[in-house]
Amino acid sequence: MHLVVCVKAVPSTTEVKMDPRTNTIVRDGRAAVLNPFDATALELALQIKEGVAASGEPCRVTVLSMGIPDTERLLRDCIARGADAGLLLSDRAFAGADTLATTYALGCGVRALGEPVDLILCGKMAVDGDTAQIGPELAGELDIPCVVDVQAVEGPLGAGDGADEGTGDGPICRHGRLRAVRATDAGTEFVEVDLPAVITVGKDAARLRMPGIPGVLASSDAPVTVLGADRVGADPARCGLTGSPTQVVRSFVPERADEAEPVRGDAREQAAKLAELIGGMA
Amino acid sequence: MTAIHPMTREYAEYLHDESRSVGSADSISFPADEDGIRSVLRALRTRPDGSAAAPPPVTVQGARTGLAAGAVPGGGHVMNLSRANRFLGLREEDGVFYLRVQPGVVLSELRRHLVAGTIPARGWGRADLRALERLYAGPEQVLPTDPTETSACLGGMAACNASGARSYRWGPMRPHVSALRVVLADGDVIDLRRGRVRARGRRLALSTESGRSLEVDLPRYAMPRTKNASGYFVEDDMDAIDLFVGSDGTLGVISELEVALSPAPAVTWGVSCFFDCEDRAVDFVAAARPALRHAAAFEYFDAAALDILRSQRAHAAAFASLPGLDDAWGCCVYVEIACDDEESARGDLARVAELMSGVGGDPADTWVARTDVDRETQRFFRHAVPESVNMLIDARRRADPSITKLGSDMSVPDDRLRDVVALYRRTLAEAGLQSAAWGHIGDNHLHVNILPRDAREYAAGKELFGVWAREVTAMGGAVSAEHGVGKLKRDFLAVMYGGRAVAEMAALKRRFDPYCQLGRGNLFDPHLCEGGA
Repeated sequence: MHLVVCVKAVPSTTEVKMDPRTNTIVRDGRAAVLNPFDATALELALQIKEGVAASGEPCRVTVLSMGIPDTERLLRDCIARGADAGLLLSDRAFAGADTLATTYALGCGVRALGEPVDLILCGKMAVDGDTAQIGPELAGELDIPCVVDVQAVEGPLGAGDGADEGTGDGPICRHGRLRAVRATDAGTEFVEVDLPAVITVGKDAARLRMPGIPGVLASSDAPVTVLGADRVGADPARCGLTGSPTQVVRSFVPERADEAEPVRGDAREQAAKLAELIGGMA
Repeated sequence: MTAIHPMTREYAEYLHDESRSVGSADSISFPADEDGIRSVLRALRTRPDGSAAAPPPVTVQGARTGLAAGAVPGGGHVMNLSRANRFLGLREEDGVFYLRVQPGVVLSELRRHLVAGTIPARGWGRADLRALERLYAGPEQVLPTDPTETSACLGGMAACNASGARSYRWGPMRPHVSALRVVLADGDVIDLRRGRVRARGRRLALSTESGRSLEVDLPRYAMPRTKNASGYFVEDDMDAIDLFVGSDGTLGVISELEVALSPAPAVTWGVSCFFDCEDRAVDFVAAARPALRHAAAFEYFDAAALDILRSQRAHAAAFASLPGLDDAWGCCVYVEIACDDEESARGDLARVAELMSGVGGDPADTWVARTDVDRETQRFFRHAVPESVNMLIDARRRADPSITKLGSDMSVPDDRLRDVVALYRRTLAEAGLQSAAWGHIGDNHLHVNILPRDAREYAAGKELFGVWAREVTAMGGAVSAEHGVGKLKRDFLAVMYGGRAVAEMAALKRRFDPYCQLGRGNLFDPHLCEGGA
């Protein structure tokens, strides 16, 4: 089984610097961290890997990212925690990509891996962009199904018949199908999906493990491939700013208004005043 | 003029500290600067009725985070310095930045301002502001002293010579204090700067700002060669400033202090190493201390501490995000590696793996924290232990209010680490007491916490502490390595140094504080000071 986890380097602080020319975030590798949602997706992938491995089947996890060269550091950190290999798409041609151009590049990256992929895991969203579009758009790019906001995966499933056999120990998926548990506004939904598929993972689904010493020491020599747009066969017209139908017109930090109106009086008077204020906002 | 308030119910919180001891007082003040401190002390010496009665005791408080009841008043007046919390200035000398602050500046605030570059500098002179610009332009700076309680204030940290996990590498607060202004009980001031006044042998000559000469004989006792916060720091030819650091608020009131900052290490990795048994952990520490070039801390958590965390993780929502512990893990040694580059850190990490294997451990049984998220997880893990034990004791106190936590704070020389661990295990087993141990194993300094279930076990635990104080002293150790003696451990101080040395300490105090007003009850019994002036 081959799992791919898409990860993104995001600013580590809320003090985000913007490029005034392109209105995009200035990426500083030293201050970047793994997007917390992607960290959860990685942990879920590692749990699936362990579950599959326990059943005697081979399983590999590849981490995939598009970013500046320093993003390789994050991919090596993912490998230290249990991933097997990394692929970094890094090229000026990718810069300024919106979600469509990003998923096009990631799709090229998945195809460039040179081996079949069974499951792609993405964080539900990234904490810098907050779009939650990458997973579904990547599924569209690859023309495979997508399940969003997954909280857990269950298994094992029977060979193609699904349903009632999905109550084994631990997360595991095999025989070409996956049962995912997802959160909805109405409650919890159990979804069975044919593989290959994309799932996006909610932040509370798991907590990324810390690496052990052997993982950290091995990660510096681990296989991380860095490829540019031409090496993954990407059409320059579909990459980066050029390939982005959406353009950021302006980015800014909203100004905080400190105006406050005290609500005084007894409980009845305060409630009436609150109702008036809320009504005024509607 | 700083107001002196009657001690009414609204000030009740100022009658206790983190030791959970509760005292009493007649009045309280909140001076915001040195003039305020002096005015309060002078006002307290003036009896309203003009009588010649001795002035009242004065207990000086900072953030009240101490664990030895040093800030708990035993009657008289409480002087709380939490409002004396301004940043006063900065200078740079030979590439070192020296920050001058009032005693109420809180450590977490200092850290926040250093990281964000937001030190409040209103009213600073031009030279100080230029130094501040250079500070912000250079590598991040820190105060290396790292007590667990970051809401401690710097004055309190100096008064008790605070330390923490990283004291293994950077020492306690003392070496980082470069200057002090100390208001004596009569309102006079001693201005101390490191390197300016040294004792000649054990004789120290000081002068106050009013021009008064103070010549004092320092106690003759020899301090143990271990981490030590027990009693006054004294040694031949010592720097005068070192006497006041760690004096538990008994010699004077720190009104200003200057601390030396250090560049923050570029790389800090936390490594939690798990072992199946305590012997392997102790062997690992003994082997790792000389072998790791960049170790900044060695901390320990015993089997009972890990079991408490397992239970909390399973049953308490607040601890649900603790990382899971393998059932086979019996204890943990946390090693912090701090250096200037990742290659050096990786070298030490590889050495940790070899050392673990060498004592029969498995390098895979580790957590390595290299990111802020992982470091925060490890910090949560380490701090959850004492927090959980406090919750456990609080629950037991509800059933029996007479009991409280009994936490040891003793240290021994390096070559007695195995002996002291064996002592703890043997005597705890013999007494049948429940315990959990954690702390600074790199400094041979474990906090063994006895968890009494009833008054009988509480009494047995206190008795055991007396046994440990004698045994640790015999090993060449200290009865208090970091919390200070305060009021709770003064009996141990007599065990450690003997009655004559304690009497010498009291005599020294009377030279600075003739009426034994300041910190009365800290370090030694108040009656040793009586008959002063």
